[in-house]
Amino acid sequence: MSSDEEYIGEGTGDEEDINVGRVGRAGDASSRSRRKKQRGGAEWEVSRTWETLVEGADGTISSTVGSLLEAGKRKRLLRDTTPLQRGIIRHLILILDLSQSMSEKDLRPTRYLLSLRYAKEFVVEFFEQNPISQLGVLGLRDGLAIRISNMSGNPTEHITAIEALRNQDPKGLPSLQNGLEMARGALFHTPSHGTREVLIIFGSLLSSDPGDIHQTISTLISDKIRVGIIGLAAQVAICRELCAKTNGGDDTVYGVALNEQHLHELMMDVTTPPATFQQKQSTSSLLMMGFPSHTVEAHPSLCACHSKPSCGGYLCSRCSSKICSLPAECPACGLTLILSTHLARSYHHLFPLINWVEVPWEHASRSASCFACGVNFPPVPSRDQWHSAESQARGVSMSSRYECTVCKNHFCIDCDLFAHEVVHNCPGCQSGTIHQIPSAETVEPCTSKDRQYPDQMDTT
Amino acid sequence: MNAVDATEHYEARADDPSPSLLTIILDTNPHAWATLEDSLPLATAVANLLVFIDAHLACNYANEVAVVASHTHKAAWLYPSHEQQQQQEQQQQQPHQNAPKHIRTDGDGDVAMKGETQGKAQPVNKYRPFRLVEEQVTRNLRHLLESTDLADVKASSSTMMAGALTLALSHINRRGIAWADAHGGDLDTAQEGASSTRLKDSATSTSTSSTGEGLQSRILVLSVSSSTDSAHQYIPIMNAIFACQRLHIPIDICKLRGDAVFLQQAADATRGIYMALAHPSGLLQYLLMAFLPDQRSRRHLVLPTRVDVDFRAACFCHRRVVDIGFVCSICLSIFCEPPENGDCLTCGTRLDLADYGTKPAVLARKKKKKKLRPNGAAAADTPTPVGTPGP
Repeated sequence: MSSDEEYIGEGTGDEEDINVGRVGRAGDASSRSRRKKQRGGAEWEVSRTWETLVEGADGTISSTVGSLLEAGKRKRLLRDTTPLQRGIIRHLILILDLSQSMSEKDLRPTRYLLSLRYAKEFVVEFFEQNPISQLGVLGLRDGLAIRISNMSGNPTEHITAIEALRNQDPKGLPSLQNGLEMARGALFHTPSHGTREVLIIFGSLLSSDPGDIHQTISTLISDKIRVGIIGLAAQVAICRELCAKTNGGDDTVYGVALNEQHLHELMMDVTTPPATFQQKQSTSSLLMMGFPSHTVEAHPSLCACHSKPSCGGYLCSRCSSKICSLPAECPACGLTLILSTHLARSYHHLFPLINWVEVPWEHASRSASCFACGVNFPPVPSRDQWHSAESQARGVSMSSRYECTVCKNHFCIDCDLFAHEVVHNCPGCQSGTIHQIPSAETVEPCTSKDRQYPDQMDTT
Repeated sequence: MNAVDATEHYEARADDPSPSLLTIILDTNPHAWATLEDSLPLATAVANLLVFIDAHLACNYANEVAVVASHTHKAAWLYPSHEQQQQQEQQQQQPHQNAPKHIRTDGDGDVAMKGETQGKAQPVNKYRPFRLVEEQVTRNLRHLLESTDLADVKASSSTMMAGALTLALSHINRRGIAWADAHGGDLDTAQEGASSTRLKDSATSTSTSSTGEGLQSRILVLSVSSSTDSAHQYIPIMNAIFACQRLHIPIDICKLRGDAVFLQQAADATRGIYMALAHPSGLLQYLLMAFLPDQRSRRHLVLPTRVDVDFRAACFCHRRVVDIGFVCSICLSIFCEPPENGDCLTCGTRLDLADYGTKPAVLARKKKKKKLRPNGAAAADTPTPVGTPGP
């Protein structure tokens, strides 16, 4: 039973990889195979998970289960680290289907409640990943598009609005066209240097539209709005067409959730900033921004933005007028004021940590424990056993060691996962300890590491 | 499936005080300690620190401590030192001498030192955890300082703060996993739920002890270097700060000298304590009063907080710390002046110095824009950007 569950997890993880990795590469050659993989729901249903379990030498399956677990972790991790150009100032409209089809219980507890819960998580994660972006929420009900929350950068506003939907029941039919038109209106005024995106959580298999949706699609294309759809029931032709047309022929942004976990993954994928396509790139510009410091005064003074007395605030770095909260535009001199932490939060998308490589037994003797956390690695077996172990899943190191190609240090799988998913730093490179290199040069790679990335940057 | 099981255990657990893991990052930058020589020599500081560590270990029998040195050219473990630990284990397992084959020369030194200290008749009655920490920290610190040669010190005057933070985080992660394994808690759910629990924290100010369970970790940084030297580590440091924020690990800063822009931001973002010591000679007192309480106790204390937070950033081109910068709209790189040719240095995008501010047209500025457009390549020749827009 447990292995069954595990396998499903892997299957969906695979799909996630494809979604993340290929977004920026719209190539004809790969699109066919990609589509095949996208439908991959059927693959796990026919594969026999029990056959992948092989008894170890000691007659138990614990070693196999262990390596399967590790493979699962690793698979989640191996993503494309090409530093793509990404649109980080995003403007996204989240459209929730609130029609009667959402009361189905195939996703527990119901599609409606689950999508509301995930929508809240999505909002939190979205602002975590895209701190200077804007979000708005719309709903589709009774053939109408209703506004749930306005475009804003404040997560709590959206969450309370979504929370309020809990007391209502889904009813009526959805209208894709109405929703898209309203989203288009909401995105109309957004500046050209940001992205314009729509994400639809769509549980129905139909759309009752007042007019021709194809016209709406062509206006969306001319307005450079990208639409992504996550289906809850089954694939719908118009949805695929809509996604493909508004994303330059790339329909990977259309996904149909297999189960609860998959839905969660599909939604969380959208929080990663999308890669930008050069031909669609509107005018990019250099923005002058101020990074004001927080101050506290003994006596209250009026703030420039609301004229309310307050004791603390941020002083504009150019004209020193006091602002209550950031990000904001200085009301006196018009300088965009922002917390540098807002910007820094998204740097790990721009300078991703490169994937670490597996270490074969030949080189494993160099290290006995993980560089970062000190956990002991399994000892190197005798030479004749090096190749006897059956070839394991792709990406899993036989010696349980993973090597950073820059600093040549060895790490365990947990640190690998932690470094790539949470910290986004390599402990070895940052510590300046380079294996096998004399100490005189140890300082060099660390400083060059930062400089190295601009060269690798994809400038297409 | 596993997660579901574990969370149930998790909630059903009795509410016994969980141990805390204190990770101390000691900035051992020789340049900075040289200037502190009069008020607080390094030896005194380390002695104070050891007393503080003992106090922490005495609070709860399960409390743990880890010490990382952030040196000029590398970040290194002072305690626990993994190589030696492992070697000791090996030696215990196999008393006959085949262990030193793996380990470098300090392995031999290890044994010798131990013999020495025993010969000197160290207090036998000393609480063993205290003794272990003290021995290892002093030994490893001595080893680190001895291994530093002139070239290393000359090469840079900054400190490997980002590396030390990353090492500390890796250790915390490992200990967290180990603790969860031993006690049936599930770390993964705790981590993945971190974003949602954070929300709860902000929404309902009475945080429902989401961090109360499990191993409580915190980081204390004894900082002596000024951060302008470490501007090239801006991104890694920020990454580490955000990781701490996600994992609810407060970073406490005890500042002995210099200015620490990024560390201020670290303390502010992770809700840690920031203290710049006016009298470094009273280090122990500050440590014991301000930094000893763990997260659980801190809820009931009025904490020393720093109200002015310096939010300046480091520019990517010259590593200067700036308060007004130019930001590429594509990759959000910060520049202290418009880059040459108007090309972003990071992503290579062609940039035009756009109409920041977007106020209704001011005549002078419009002219300038027109001047810029036709010969776009010359846009960057003017070092100062478009003049201040009118009132």
